[in-house]
Amino acid sequence: MTSTVTELLYVARDPAWAPWAVTYFFLIGLSYGALALSLPGIVFGATRWRNASRMALLGALITGLAAPVALLSDLGNPGRFLNFYLHPQASSWMSWGAFFLPVYVGLLLLYAWAALAPEMRARIDEGGVFAPARRLLGGDERPALVKIFGLLALAGAMLVALYTGAEVMVARARPLWGTSLLPFQFVATAFAGAAGMTIVLNRLFGDDAVATESLLNRALATSLVFVAAIGALWFAIALLLPTSIESQALAQVANSSVWRLNALWLGLAVAIPFVIAFAKPVGSGWFTGLLALNAAWMFRWTIFIGGQSIPKTGAGWYSHPLELGPEGLLGVIGTAGLVLFIAIALTSLLGWPREASSDAADAARPSSVLRA
Amino acid sequence: MDRSRRDFLREIGRVTAGAPVALAAPAMAAAPAAKDAGKPQPHWAMVVDVGKCIGCQACTIACIMENATPENSFRTFVSTYEVASGATVNAYMLPRLCNHCDDPPCTPVCPVGATYKQADGIVVVDADRCVACGYCVQSCPYDARFINRETRAADKCTFCSHRVEAGLLPACVETCVGGSRIFGDLADPNSEVSKIAKTRRAEIRVLKPEEGTNPNVFYLGLDPRFEGRVDGAPTLWRPSEPRA
Repeated sequence: MTSTVTELLYVARDPAWAPWAVTYFFLIGLSYGALALSLPGIVFGATRWRNASRMALLGALITGLAAPVALLSDLGNPGRFLNFYLHPQASSWMSWGAFFLPVYVGLLLLYAWAALAPEMRARIDEGGVFAPARRLLGGDERPALVKIFGLLALAGAMLVALYTGAEVMVARARPLWGTSLLPFQFVATAFAGAAGMTIVLNRLFGDDAVATESLLNRALATSLVFVAAIGALWFAIALLLPTSIESQALAQVANSSVWRLNALWLGLAVAIPFVIAFAKPVGSGWFTGLLALNAAWMFRWTIFIGGQSIPKTGAGWYSHPLELGPEGLLGVIGTAGLVLFIAIALTSLLGWPREASSDAADAARPSSVLRA
Repeated sequence: MDRSRRDFLREIGRVTAGAPVALAAPAMAAAPAAKDAGKPQPHWAMVVDVGKCIGCQACTIACIMENATPENSFRTFVSTYEVASGATVNAYMLPRLCNHCDDPPCTPVCPVGATYKQADGIVVVDADRCVACGYCVQSCPYDARFINRETRAADKCTFCSHRVEAGLLPACVETCVGGSRIFGDLADPNSEVSKIAKTRRAEIRVLKPEEGTNPNVFYLGLDPRFEGRVDGAPTLWRPSEPRA
């Protein structure tokens, strides 16, 4: 005879990783993805990537500087962060990350300085509050230094991508996290988000040339293909290998209407920007850029906040409504404000956006020409 | 006084004289072994006889009072279920706590070494070192850990190691009305837990055996449907939810 079980009494656990964690993984993913997009035009000298790579470097800087703030805020006891360095643990990916992150951000700053020093030097005479900073940071073109720091920053970015993926993957107590595909999903969605962010930055601070937007939309479409392929592989493993952790994860959420809606949302968040970026790579920047950012954010929100809503031993679901205070919405909005502040400070320092150059103006939108 | 408690008190003098339990820091944890070289090292464990649990939650309350856990935070509790088979409806009670695993997934992930397994088998948290990153909370397959909002550190059952060191039973064992919780030293062949392990080996089960964590909390009468994540209708009451 079949029996039914009703859970009368259980204890709901609060999420140990708040939306701060989502924010950190979102921003650091955008940063290392954007850093990779900055290399073709700045380090490897690909002319058609020049503007796109400058915008990508700006994005890598903005998000790379904001991300550690979100990470520190997710600690329940941020005042003790020095313990990461006083008591390192080789067995912990998070401990490794405490070293990888500052190395990456430091190399990113050196790379950005080497790449942008000539632009700051060119504006030394413009005066204003940033004049002293431009005098301090401005310098000659040093292609060799740019290449060295760029490649070192790439190595740092790869370490960050490795640790952020592995850190979550090893927490196999949550089947949704325990898949070996998770690090690849993080990287693919990070690239999609980074391409989206660069498209948006190009609209705001770049040359607004159609060639740049087309190039970035193609990069976005490519990364979304990888996102979809890894997602399809995850579903294939879940369906074909009943003993796999992917199968356990799917079984946990398959009967939930909320999770079905999540899956649909994520699917659309990948499919819609792909279709637009593929079919209309010019003139769609705001849509594809923002939708790609939404996809990268949604993926991490679903993994972290959604994943923590699944009890490890109890029946049903933990209910985690978004708090309005610093642990929730206010934290997200505050970090967005920090991102905006860093963007304004950096673009003011660099004097971006500049007037369209004569060669870029040829390929610029009519609106851009009018603005110039 | 139930039998397990009598046995424990009878043996506790020998235990505490022979192998004091280190509590506070890794350095202290190593000290007893050197100091008491040649003395047997205890290996603390708990047996939960599910059939004797009446779901009174006295253990839950005793733990809260003993360890001053914040409101809505629990180191141990008794999850309670209604199991209906046709016209027959039964209650099922399952006490839950940290399993003090021999291969704990929570300790290697700690980025600052704040949580570790003592030589006596108890998994503890150094609340002065913990940064409350929550990584151990995520890694525990039993949802046995939480971030203590007052101490701002990871928190969990310690088998009341401060009481054990003083020759007392864990608070939950001390207060258990039905004698469902039996605590003792697995390294001592004469302890009640060792005897149960020997005489009722076939009945002993652990939660989530597939995780390979080798828990030191053993269950008698554990229905396999409750070993892992329970497949049932959701709970009626959750203390963390805002009160109406």
